[in-house]
Amino acid sequence: MRALKYFFAEAGASLWHGRRAAALAILTVTVGLFLLGFFLLVNANVDRLVAQWAQAAEMSVYLTDDASAEQRAAVEATLAASPLVRSFEYVSKVDALARFQHDFKDLAGLTNELGENPLPAAFEVRLRSSAGDQAGIDALAASLSKAPGVADVRYDRQWLNRLLLAVALLRGVSLVIITIVGIAAALTVANVVRLAAYARLDEIEIMHLVGSPAAFIRGPFVVEGVLQGGIGALGALLLLWAGYAVATARYGTMLADAIGLDGLAFFSPMMMLLLVVGGMAVGCVGGLVAARGVR
Amino acid sequence: MIEAYHLSKVYSRGVYALRDLSLTVEKGEFVFLTGPSGAGKSTFLRLMLRQELPSEGQLMVSGRNLSDLRPREVQSYRRSVGFVFQDFKLIPRKTVFENVAFVPRVLGAPEASQRRKAFQVLKWVGLQHRMTALPLDLSGGEQQRIAIARALVNDPMLVLADEPTGNLDPDLSLEIMNLFREINARGTTVVVATHDRELIRQVGRRALTLDQGQIVETS
Ligand SMILES: Nc1ncnc2c1ncn2[C@@H]1O[C@H](COP(=O)(O)OP(=O)(O)OP(=O)(O)O)[C@@H](O)[C@H]1O
Ligand SMILES: [Mg+2]
Repeated sequence: MRALKYFFAEAGASLWHGRRAAALAILTVTVGLFLLGFFLLVNANVDRLVAQWAQAAEMSVYLTDDASAEQRAAVEATLAASPLVRSFEYVSKVDALARFQHDFKDLAGLTNELGENPLPAAFEVRLRSSAGDQAGIDALAASLSKAPGVADVRYDRQWLNRLLLAVALLRGVSLVIITIVGIAAALTVANVVRLAAYARLDEIEIMHLVGSPAAFIRGPFVVEGVLQGGIGALGALLLLWAGYAVATARYGTMLADAIGLDGLAFFSPMMMLLLVVGGMAVGCVGGLVAARGVR
Repeated sequence: MIEAYHLSKVYSRGVYALRDLSLTVEKGEFVFLTGPSGAGKSTFLRLMLRQELPSEGQLMVSGRNLSDLRPREVQSYRRSVGFVFQDFKLIPRKTVFENVAFVPRVLGAPEASQRRKAFQVLKWVGLQHRMTALPLDLSGGEQQRIAIARALVNDPMLVLADEPTGNLDPDLSLEIMNLFREINARGTTVVVATHDRELIRQVGRRALTLDQGQIVETS
């Protein structure tokens, strides 16, 4: 306890003494964690978006207007039998029109003028999101489109898969960049702490000569690194939160309209804590590296 | 308390700083090490503080062979030794009081005891009124007294001093020596390296004269 107090007092004084260099170290930690946090936020929101899209109807099987009840039943049986199908729903011509008029109130008059219902009846099919079997889905779509009474089959699974692939790629690249920035931040902290140590080599020599325990000699450097990392992490969180607030205020409604995402998500308190702890860990590594160099 | 047996210290290329040195210092004794420049006085004190290890021979302090100490034991051994450097080695950024309190502080002593001990020794060397000054604002003699106060703050059983009067005029030198005599009178073993023969004569204690790493005279 007393040792901790000593570590913090020394580390605080040393930070203040070398505040310019310390600011640099804190900045690198901030940049590193900002990138990490930005990536995590984008990732979380893209995940939500993908999940939402995956929920939406993925395959529409449009029927011809003159499809017979048997033909419709055959299509229904095919869908019910397929392991790739999670659920499906029949939307009759009347239902489709009602939906259209509800969704596009401006155009409601148009359908009245036409005098007839231009919308086809359809099965709206949800595929199992875990089913990565693209070939199977393609085969299902092909056989359905050839079935009698079916006008057209549309599905956006392919597009979704490409999106998922792109997201995965983005994830990989970001992780590499974040790792590099993280190492750079730890090294900067190490060098700045070591620089601060050089300013007090006389103290360290006396500590050695009077028999001060190794923990007492190294502790302040580790604490100094941890403080730099922690402050850097708080800075990153603050920047991220500001960015998040601006993005929500400016683009929130636009995003909701364009891609159907109702608001952006920020970190949970647990996640924020993890980020700060992560920054401290990076700083701790830097402090340890510097402390090992001090003899 | 100190027993050296056939002690040698060789630096690079066969330069003997100490050569086959044997000596004994009793507990509670006050001993001078003297001799010309390069005789090996500082080398012996460095071995005593376990800053370096002997090349040959044994150096025993209180029955412990300094060559056999593990790192933790080195720390605890050093805590029982007070050292006064010729160049003082005071920390210029810290006040006189902080310099002295630094030792108990980095040994993890409670804060109240740090302050009490530091104040006691500063009073003892007669500098309690300069507690808040910075070392560089003090005279050489005052700085040396601070360095001595710092060496004593942890109640060592042994005090080592390397040329503690090297930069001081004769009157001040004698004053400093009186401090060491007082420490010694309280039972602490004292070893002082100096080439000031006049000073040794005035203090009148045992003196070991070294030359080229060997004892050439005992008086
Ligand atoms: N680190 C070192 N590396 C090489 N040689 C050294 C080293 N330290 C001391 N020496 C040599 O060892 C010999 C003894 O040196 P030492 O410093 O012990 O002498 P001294 O008696 O303290 O002299 P002075 O009165 O000048 O302080 C000298 O010849 C010196 O050059
Ligand atoms: Mg010397």
